[in-house]
Amino acid sequence: MERYLQIEKVNLKYNVPLHILICVLLLLVSPLLMGVENLKAEDTAKVLEVYAALMGIILLPPVFLPEQDRDIRDLVYTKRMNGGSVYMVRLLGNVLILAALLGVYVGILLHNGCEFPAGKYFLGTFAEMLFMGGLGLCFYGLCDNLVIGYMAPIVYYIAALGGGPRRLGVFYPFSMMKGSYTEKAWLAAGALALAGAGILFRCRRK
Amino acid sequence: MAAQLFLKECKQTARSLVYWLIILALLFNFTTQLGDMEIDKKPEPGQKSYGKMKSRDSELNMKSTLGKLTEEYWRESYTTYPIGFYKHVTLNEADDKKIGGILNEAAGIGSHEAAEKAVEAWYAAQKESKGLGSEDDPVYMEPLQVEPAEGLSAGRYAELMDEADKILGGGSNYTKENRENGVEIPMTYEDALAQYDMLIEKDRLTGGYARLFADYMVIFLGILPVFLSVTRGLRDRRSMMQELIYTRRCSSFTIMASRYLAMVAMLTIPALILSLVPLSKCMVYARTAGIAVDMLAFVKYVFGWLVPTIMAVTGVGMFFTELTDTAAAVLVQGVWWFTAVFCGMDSLRGGSYGWNLVPRHNTNMNWQGFNDGFSQLLANRIVYAAAGLVLMALTAFIYTQKRKGRLQIRGKIFANRKGKSEV
Repeated sequence: MERYLQIEKVNLKYNVPLHILICVLLLLVSPLLMGVENLKAEDTAKVLEVYAALMGIILLPPVFLPEQDRDIRDLVYTKRMNGGSVYMVRLLGNVLILAALLGVYVGILLHNGCEFPAGKYFLGTFAEMLFMGGLGLCFYGLCDNLVIGYMAPIVYYIAALGGGPRRLGVFYPFSMMKGSYTEKAWLAAGALALAGAGILFRCRRK
Repeated sequence: MAAQLFLKECKQTARSLVYWLIILALLFNFTTQLGDMEIDKKPEPGQKSYGKMKSRDSELNMKSTLGKLTEEYWRESYTTYPIGFYKHVTLNEADDKKIGGILNEAAGIGSHEAAEKAVEAWYAAQKESKGLGSEDDPVYMEPLQVEPAEGLSAGRYAELMDEADKILGGGSNYTKENRENGVEIPMTYEDALAQYDMLIEKDRLTGGYARLFADYMVIFLGILPVFLSVTRGLRDRRSMMQELIYTRRCSSFTIMASRYLAMVAMLTIPALILSLVPLSKCMVYARTAGIAVDMLAFVKYVFGWLVPTIMAVTGVGMFFTELTDTAAAVLVQGVWWFTAVFCGMDSLRGGSYGWNLVPRHNTNMNWQGFNDGFSQLLANRIVYAAAGLVLMALTAFIYTQKRKGRLQIRGKIFANRKGKSEV
């Protein structure tokens, strides 16, 4: 356990501070860009699904970044603890940070008089964040390229904006705006599969 | 030398996985948005609907604007676009009273009850005039229009609407631009025929569809090129080739310019190839309808509309990658793209291109709007093409500095110092 905590400590100290800062900035500027006060449920869903969920793309794909250099990766893989465990610890840490940031933001929206089912919206947005992040992680692991790790979820996001539910079916990310939560369960399951596949791809790449 | 480097860079791009993923994304975008595109037929008399157009009748615009204010005041919910993004505004009691005062002076409606009465009376009258029996009958309802108060001058009306916009935080339905252009009216057969004639005579059919094609493609091309340029920029460092290339005789400008032009050219090719599909549809229709199409319209729009965006985005990718040696350009371009796309949401019909990186014209019609906004669009496109070239030149400058051992980041400052002390 101590070893896992040490991994997360290093992750927090060296790998994610910049990404966390960007996420915090993203949330801080939101009142300038869109309404965050006295919103009705569907408008709150829009803020969370279209805007806040972008944090998933920022925070999850860089889980593999510290071992981007092949020499460092070779060195890490010589250690007793396998690479997969290191990635899992980092991923879990980043997921918890995402949950905390989203929780604070949902709290602010509630405090600002927005009327929405907080628990459902939190979970729905969280599922979307994880799916987009998982998509990035999967492509990063598969292609060994951070840029592709960002590109995949961004293309998915644009496709969702332009194509709507007709094109993406159960993986449509903005369903809460239309009052549907079924897609969120699919997104959560998809996120698990994608993140798992990403780690698997990464560990197989020597 | 430059031509050789250009060809080499084109080959590098063609071998890049990111490039093929970009093509896949463009293909996906094209097939989902334009795959089932049909060429509009000539309007026939007696059609159910002919679409909509902007009203130029100032009296109607005033009535409709007051109607919007009445309805929003009644709903206690206002839609605004302060800096292009959708924003839903709910006012506090004091501001709500102020809006009530404005509406009272402008239209004699001073309370929520009066506003509700006006809204209900309007829609009830509409239902009656259309002879509807059931509440559920699907029908197009004309948006609410409210008569201005007696003696209200145009000047005072403008002042009141400006004040309402100020209370709502800007970007509301009551700005000068929205008051004049925000009212859409259904087109008559004659209006629709006139638009169609414009499409055939002025646009020669293909012009209108080329604009629609450019509108869809520019959304993806407003961000995808950055992935290619960032990957290309980081590739040398990843393969540890940077130092080797630094020692070559070729100038930094030649290296960067050839790389930049190769990426722009390779990203333009898929757009040109994809444009052949709508062009062929236009040609098939034109042959049966006896229309002489502009065969080069799609090429003109690809180069005039899409290439400046590709140039600017590629420039951003190259510049920030060279400057930071990271993928930071993705974030920078992501923010720019997000802002540009949402800013363009309220000008989808075209004509208001402004300085948007992603100019929108989401219709094959509205040649008049395109013509009216052409000089602005031209200035916009020239600025972004120039910005792309400037960013490329700046990238070359940074590259030169790095070749000289300056501007090294990511811990290399120490490496250089050590190197110097060893010497």
